[in-house]
Amino acid sequence: MTAIDDDLGAATGVPGRGGVPFPMRDRLHVPRERYFDRGFYELEKRSLWSRTWQMACRLEEIPQPHDFVEYEICGRSLLLVRQPDRSVKALHNACRHRATQLEKGAGRLAGGQIVCPFHGWRWNADGTNSFVYGASGFAPECLRPDDLRLRECRAEVWGGCVWINLDPDASPLREALHPVADLLESIAVGNWQVRWWKEVVLHANWKLAQEAFMEGYHVPQTHPQLAGGLSVEDFPVDQNRYDAFDNGHSSFGRKLAGERYTSIETLILGGQLLSDGQDAMTLERDLTVFEGFRNKIQPGDDVGAAAAEALRDHAKGAGIPWPEGLEDSPLFFGGEVFVFPNLFFLPQYNNCLSYRIRPHQDDPEWCRFEVWSLTTYPATELRPRAEQLGRFAKDDSEHWGLIPMQDFSNIERQQAGLHTVGFEETRLATEWENAIGNMHVELDRRLARD
Amino acid sequence: MTEVVIQPAGFTIDVDPGETLAESAWRQGYRWPTTCWGQAECMVCAALVVAGETATVPADAAEEEAMRLRMPRHLRRPESRLACRLMFSDDGAVVEKKGVRPPPDPQTDPEGANT
Repeated sequence: MTAIDDDLGAATGVPGRGGVPFPMRDRLHVPRERYFDRGFYELEKRSLWSRTWQMACRLEEIPQPHDFVEYEICGRSLLLVRQPDRSVKALHNACRHRATQLEKGAGRLAGGQIVCPFHGWRWNADGTNSFVYGASGFAPECLRPDDLRLRECRAEVWGGCVWINLDPDASPLREALHPVADLLESIAVGNWQVRWWKEVVLHANWKLAQEAFMEGYHVPQTHPQLAGGLSVEDFPVDQNRYDAFDNGHSSFGRKLAGERYTSIETLILGGQLLSDGQDAMTLERDLTVFEGFRNKIQPGDDVGAAAAEALRDHAKGAGIPWPEGLEDSPLFFGGEVFVFPNLFFLPQYNNCLSYRIRPHQDDPEWCRFEVWSLTTYPATELRPRAEQLGRFAKDDSEHWGLIPMQDFSNIERQQAGLHTVGFEETRLATEWENAIGNMHVELDRRLARD
Repeated sequence: MTEVVIQPAGFTIDVDPGETLAESAWRQGYRWPTTCWGQAECMVCAALVVAGETATVPADAAEEEAMRLRMPRHLRRPESRLACRLMFSDDGAVVEKKGVRPPPDPQTDPEGANT
């Protein structure tokens, strides 16, 4: 852990450095108000969401020129528009005439035109105005081309995603993603594409919802089926290494990568639990490959290395991109990367489970939780435009696997529990939960900025 | 690619697979009347398929619903289609639409004033 020994402000409840209410006094306690206080939430809107790089869409949502998708964050709406040269622009979604939102959801700009549904003013895909109905009735000062141009927002492409920052003076994306961008590139983040994409609305603060995925400490109790028949007392707690990084990012992964698999049976069984339990990370395709070399393994063989080799051979045969050294990535056999403020990647082999969490309906106690199953497809495979399958209830077993249902259930109980009389703050394990404190300390740093 | 004849002007427009007639026309610089630009809202792009109906992809439920809801009844005919939804499976369709104008001719119209 790259602990930063700084002055974290005064006692809980008293505004700390930079006037941040309910500040972090250390990395071990989180004042409960940070998860429901309206003033704290409004400060997040003003000083975090308006000024941070955030994932706005996946590139597969807008594969063709003139495809667009709307990104909404705390009441701000942006249109991510694929340009004819394949670059992406982020345009503020409001008519320059009388502010009508120009587009909703996702779609295609037929004829390359963004059209206001109110009076028919139009813009080209790059945001330049192309038509004003009845222009002769306006004073020239109302129709200056520079004023009519749709306002543009900072946007950059990295890791198969479009990222935006509402702050025109923000530093470059790559600086903000340090050091997790390098880590994710080791596992070829840019090669993943959407298999499926779903959403759940949770009665919980956006930070609380995502903290459940920053540690593996909850696994034996929340997901007993993943504990291999061991009770929580017997389940080894120190299997993962947890790294808290600068800029609020963090990561965890198995301490011993390939060697965790003592036999081909444990590899297949563990993979089946992930495939059945969430239809992500380990996929049917991988299990088929593992079954294929089950009988070739000799006692004493390195099962992890053999699995990697079999997956690589399969990928090469199927035309699936496999960068040199992919199997040497610290994330190859599974792990987690948290990208501050609200994005997760849980890679395994050439697949990944991904989460994005956002405040919902301008309420600090509600959030939108999106889930993607990503994988690497053959380079020549034509994929359909990625669309969200829908928003499903947290206990809808038709649409959620056992693993996410178990997680969602605890998250809402946690939010409810925060309101208990006499409960002041959460208490965190130094060894297993350091990523949570790390995120909150970075949040305070952002909230304290001028 | 399929060839579609537009009457009364007599143009032939080449439409790509999976592309609608209106989008193809706009892409190639034709003026095809519209107000909503492909949203199936305005009914201004509507045209009549006057021949070669078998070369067209039939209207889906959303297009039928849009015409039923939004097209004034006295304008709607059995052969009415929305050009912003109309796709083709073969050559040979003839579509009637007034007000379609060709791309500006760079020789005579360097400013594109005709559009």
